[in-house]
Amino acid sequence: MDELEILKKDWKKQESSFLQISEIEIYGMLHKKSSSLVKWILIISILELLLWLSFSFFTVDDQYLETLKLYHLDTLMPIMNAISYGVILFFIYLFFKNYKTINATDNVKQLMQNILKTRKTVQYYVWYNLAMTAFSFILVFIFQFMYDPNLTKIVEKMSQNININIFYCIMFVIYTVIIALFVGLIWLFYRVLYGILLKRLGKNYDELKKIEF
Amino acid sequence: MKSESEALFVQQLKENQNIIHKICRLYTTDSDAHNDLFQEITIQLWKAFPNFRGDSKFSTWAYRVGLNTAITLYRKKKRTIDTIEFDSTFHKVTQDEYNFEEEEKLKLLYSAIRELNDIEKALVFLYLEDKDYTEISETLGISEVNARVKMNRVKGKLKKILNP
Repeated sequence: MDELEILKKDWKKQESSFLQISEIEIYGMLHKKSSSLVKWILIISILELLLWLSFSFFTVDDQYLETLKLYHLDTLMPIMNAISYGVILFFIYLFFKNYKTINATDNVKQLMQNILKTRKTVQYYVWYNLAMTAFSFILVFIFQFMYDPNLTKIVEKMSQNININIFYCIMFVIYTVIIALFVGLIWLFYRVLYGILLKRLGKNYDELKKIEF
Repeated sequence: MKSESEALFVQQLKENQNIIHKICRLYTTDSDAHNDLFQEITIQLWKAFPNFRGDSKFSTWAYRVGLNTAITLYRKKKRTIDTIEFDSTFHKVTQDEYNFEEEEKLKLLYSAIRELNDIEKALVFLYLEDKDYTEISETLGISEVNARVKMNRVKGKLKKILNP
């Protein structure tokens, strides 16, 4: 007999070896909490949405508004914020729309694709926020140089000692490093977080794709 | 209060529980993980039950949700893996046969299956469950031709292990 047929025969015999679960036990299971990947993605995504939203809420205080005025950004920043809220709301809508398409009764490939798509939405959301953060940083830095009286004084003082272009170069490098470090750290955090969460799914999805080519 | 659909679900699941047990045996390595996965599959099935219209068999539906949970949705908990226990559960089934050669082959086959990746395991599982290529391709979301090609490769891989 073919080896695989022997295996099939043995496989069928296994049925009698399983410890049967009673109805009461099944009832108990129905009310336990799921710990599925999708649930984790949902929790983490909601936390992310809230985290970025809270950044924009809690950083606004009187001092911040005064600084904006000083830098002549008091009209531009609120407009940027309004646009930003609109974009965030759009992302939240997209996320929940994708989340709802995740269905355990889809075929294996479809399910994986829907999960990856939902996760991608959050990834784009994070990228968008990082880009906006970097952009705001740059904007504030430029306007700081133009309008901050303290900085103007420092620049004047420095220009007596060293070439002003060299001073600007040094400041530019320092600011670039600060932005790059900030964005880099957040990027690393997400790589690790989603790397752990989606390692298995990614591997299995690649295996499925390999079959198709 | 137990609702009518809850009672219906529990009844159906109880009758079809061996499908889930078999998936758990294939994808886990110890009894704790087995029970854990069983529970997660039950939860996923229950969550999807309102969409189960009864136009397909409960078992067909359970295969799909079960495999989806094992391959994609289930998050393994961190624990020390005890593989010895898993081998012995397979072994017990064949002991009453006293066919030493066959038993050795089975042991080799089962340990070879354990080495397969999650997708290959699903293919072997559906083959062992006598599913045709239409159902296999529908469950995994790949074409019938590709399912056949891949299945032959996996079978070849297993046979090679037995006859090096």
